[in-house]
Amino acid sequence: MKKSAQIAIVLTASVLAAGLMLVPARGFGQPANDAKAKAAAKAKAIAQAFEANARTLTVFDRQGNAVAAVGPRAIYNTPVFSPDAKRLVVGKTDLEKEVQDLWVFDIATGGSIQLTSGKSREVSGTPAWSPDGSKIAYVGLRSGEYGLYQKASNGQGSEELLYKLPGVGTLTDWSQDGRYLTYHATDLGGGILFALPLNSGERKPIEVFRSAKQVQGMRLSPDDRFLSYASNESGKFEMYIRPFDPAGGSNSATGRQVSDQGAQGMGFWRRDGKEYYYLGADRSIMAVSVSTSPALEIGKPRVLFHPAEEIAVAPGTSSVSRDGERFVIAVPPNRLRQLTILDRQGKVVKTVGAPGVFAQPAFSPDGTRVAVTRNDPKTGFNDIWTFDVATGKGYAVTNDVWQDNTPIWSADGKHLAYVSTREQYSGIYRKAWDGSGQEELLFRYTPGAGVGFSDWSQDGRFLTFSTGALLVVHLRDNEKALDRKAIEWIRDENNEFGGRFSPDGRFLAYGSDEADPLDFAGSGTVDVYVRPFDASNPEAPGPGPAVRVTESGAQIFGWRRQDGKELIYMNRDFELMAMDVTTTPKFSVGPPKLLFKLASPQTAVSPDGISRDGQRFVFGMPVSPPASAAGR
Amino acid sequence: MNSRTLALLAAGMWVAAGAVWAHHNMSAVFDFNNRVSLSGTLSKIDWRNPHIYLTVDVKGDKDDVEVWQVEGPAPSFFRLRDISKMDFENASGKIVKFEASRARDGSRTGLLRVMTLPDGKLVSACPQNC
Repeated sequence: MKKSAQIAIVLTASVLAAGLMLVPARGFGQPANDAKAKAAAKAKAIAQAFEANARTLTVFDRQGNAVAAVGPRAIYNTPVFSPDAKRLVVGKTDLEKEVQDLWVFDIATGGSIQLTSGKSREVSGTPAWSPDGSKIAYVGLRSGEYGLYQKASNGQGSEELLYKLPGVGTLTDWSQDGRYLTYHATDLGGGILFALPLNSGERKPIEVFRSAKQVQGMRLSPDDRFLSYASNESGKFEMYIRPFDPAGGSNSATGRQVSDQGAQGMGFWRRDGKEYYYLGADRSIMAVSVSTSPALEIGKPRVLFHPAEEIAVAPGTSSVSRDGERFVIAVPPNRLRQLTILDRQGKVVKTVGAPGVFAQPAFSPDGTRVAVTRNDPKTGFNDIWTFDVATGKGYAVTNDVWQDNTPIWSADGKHLAYVSTREQYSGIYRKAWDGSGQEELLFRYTPGAGVGFSDWSQDGRFLTFSTGALLVVHLRDNEKALDRKAIEWIRDENNEFGGRFSPDGRFLAYGSDEADPLDFAGSGTVDVYVRPFDASNPEAPGPGPAVRVTESGAQIFGWRRQDGKELIYMNRDFELMAMDVTTTPKFSVGPPKLLFKLASPQTAVSPDGISRDGQRFVFGMPVSPPASAAGR
Repeated sequence: MNSRTLALLAAGMWVAAGAVWAHHNMSAVFDFNNRVSLSGTLSKIDWRNPHIYLTVDVKGDKDDVEVWQVEGPAPSFFRLRDISKMDFENASGKIVKFEASRARDGSRTGLLRVMTLPDGKLVSACPQNC
């Protein structure tokens, strides 16, 4: 289930901590030889990260019409309506200070107050309003310990620790009678739903429900007789309702499924308990008629509205008002991209197919097709697709319930290798370019570990990927995929990324922060290095030192596949640069020459977006979304 | 895929995406709700990506030595916090205290939360490992 893959990543440290790790579009470019230069580079990286992640709090009605935009663009998560739907509390990440605090916005005026004021690397998140709107409870990370806290919603006074959590927890609701806070702890080992009674003398959480599968998003019905939650117990995420037993006996009761076509979570009860909302697997806002008395009755789910494709609504960035009339989504930057082919001067040669949510466009060896990672608007999942350059016709290489990414062509253009994350494991798979036939597992990595797949050698015998270290997988014949081990080709204290085999297989180029270490807070530079690769002895780099081929940072790079006589890279300023390559008597490169500059930093690019002859480049160019926010 | 990773992919920043994916989902191996607090002699330091490993010899109940492997974040995590490899090297052969989340397989392996070095310096692996 792709949802589990999402959770697997998000819950690495916790949903909250993940908010602090927003370090995309970071700066890998400016030489930072002094404090001033470092500060400037960091500021630039933070600005780029902000642009890539900043969202707009947008309120929608039941028909999907946008009725209000609240506050400035910022990196928001978990917006929650006040009981009267006049205010929003939301987590807001400050990249410069490395802190996530809670802010309360007045929807009508856009005015705001800062509710929490954490220290650097502290987190406040997953808020819930008290029934009367006077208080807000939340999870706080304070000095390395998680706790449930509350504070007056007007920001006055100090925060109060309600319960010190033994580990990671995600607060989901404050029951409508004010008696319970509900939260969950879920990870790859399973999940537990808890209710914390607030009115008893000793605050001791009730373990409401425990599952070997992931469970999350618990909310009590207004009469406290039932609880709803999301679970992947059936193999994909669905919404469930089961009786709530304050004595902790809910495990023995039978849960009933609410959703019928998959769900992403975000379940909410209407104040009167007669309607229930959730986010469908296809990102539709769903509504279900329910009744909890005298017996539980659940109607058939129906679509209220389907947000436009580029809105990318997700459970952690959206919620529903208590009266069921308003929906808030922290709308991310437009994700629609048009596959576009440019020549060496940066002139548009052709567009391919219709716009979509594309990433990692890669030319087939003969240049007649483009492979991409495509986010499917109907399922919310990432799949691998190929498009015919001449006709724009698309082929789904994968169409599954996992998160797939990083398509890399085989040298003969018949297959694609790609990463797929399936429950605890990320692996590299192979399948025909048109999606026909069965896929084949080539390699599976250790549980819980991600795979930064970057290349498949032209002879088809080696894969390379990064985990911070640079690893190589030897695809020996007659060796089972599960028996294959990754070779730690370079593993040191530096960050090494994105190995790229030279076309003749004699060299491996890679990015490293050896000269100016990344600190993941905006400083540092990644440059391109090249070392000999010996296919007969792939256990370690060949003899001789690494050759540093860029001096001022590179974001991506690739070889000209046809002959390996050119390395092309994109620098920090989104300029495509080309360098001549000489391999005899030793490896060296000529001075970088500017080809062209990308118009938008938000362009989807890939090292395999370079045609074999180096004359064409394929990108995903940002395109404007349609004026209407609602898709239907 | 979280929003950060998606944003990286959208922008094509494979270099940074690699950094994102470098981090294991620790919950696959370690139980965040099962902690252990121990002290012992820091006997080995493996200061490499994607995670450092510290070996601590802990004296058992019967004066035997239990060897614990403590997994920490990447070196870059510590750089950001002004903690260097040298801080750990200076502690080598000396007594350290640590709190870790235990491995699910019950082995003497833990995911570092905090460690107190012999000079009193507190090294926290939070929020990443908390």
